[in-house]
Amino acid sequence: MSAPRPTTLLRLLALAALAGLAALVSNRVAGPTRRLAWRGSLVVAVPTMIVPPAREPVAPELAPLTGRENTEVRLKAVAPQTPAPAKQVAPAPPEATVPIRELGSAEALAGFQAGWPFLDARRSAEFAEGHVRGAFCTSVWEADLEDRLIDFKAARHPGPGDPIVIYCSGGDCHDSHLLAEKLLAQGYFHLLIYRDGYPDWVALGRPTAKGAQP
Amino acid sequence: MNWLRHPRLRLLARLILGLVFLGAALPKLADPPGFAKAIWAYKLFPAWSLNPLALALPWLELFCGLALCFGVWWRAAALWVGALLLSFCLALTLNLSRHHPVDCGCFGTSAPKTQAQRLADMRWTLLRDLGLLLLVVQVLLSAAPGKKTR
Repeated sequence: MSAPRPTTLLRLLALAALAGLAALVSNRVAGPTRRLAWRGSLVVAVPTMIVPPAREPVAPELAPLTGRENTEVRLKAVAPQTPAPAKQVAPAPPEATVPIRELGSAEALAGFQAGWPFLDARRSAEFAEGHVRGAFCTSVWEADLEDRLIDFKAARHPGPGDPIVIYCSGGDCHDSHLLAEKLLAQGYFHLLIYRDGYPDWVALGRPTAKGAQP
Repeated sequence: MNWLRHPRLRLLARLILGLVFLGAALPKLADPPGFAKAIWAYKLFPAWSLNPLALALPWLELFCGLALCFGVWWRAAALWVGALLLSFCLALTLNLSRHHPVDCGCFGTSAPKTQAQRLADMRWTLLRDLGLLLLVVQVLLSAAPGKKTR
């Protein structure tokens, strides 16, 4: 294999330049779910220490879904999407001892019933296929994350110490952790990562909804 | 061993490499955020480099794939493909050596897998990339110096 000739070197550079140009143009015309910011990556390199969930507190579990009637009954039994009114019996949000903490399955349900906001860190296509009822679509990998977080804040007005539940796909999905790091950087310090995420929520037959974020 | 440098074998190697890289580029072009996530999972790149890599790399794969298939600038394309394959092998080897299972991300996002499945897939992917690297060597070696190439 001889050393590349000058024309080959020029062509190497030309291929790289073509790729860069095509990337620039395609990213400019792409929709928000396909676009990426060239600079200012959303990803934080080193995660903050995240505390695993304590022992599961006793929380009212819902019976598994068997049909449409059950769904309707169960949906009435849980809190609405909007913040819980003062009269509603809801556990007071625990004090934030650590800024980011993992949340068990029962505690996530208790938070849902208490009206805590849920943020879905998965991709927006996955969100459209199904999400926790009332959750906000805040995909950590998509370019419109800032806009979506602004919409969330405008809708819920969370204070810095208010609990915010974040979830993704459970298992080794880290999108919720990345979103928590981002929110921590914005001054929120009561971030609760629903460890087992959406698959667990669905498996336990808890309230879900379909469709993209309006 | 002259048959190893036969032009027809080079054509075949070029077509295989070209088609593989075209197949690898298209799903990534369709979903750059998904590819950025795949690169991030390797834990080898600084955060600032993820998005530029996720945006530009698929286009480079596409142009190299087209060049190899159509025989235009194929020597430069083969050099790029060789460099890319070397870097893929290095990334896989580093993560295998530290037992950090990752989804390859080679052909877009894949279905969820267990850690053991991921590690097994990584070994197969490494073997595949080494095989493709041999094709690159064949393409570059079989081009006799001094012959006119486009």
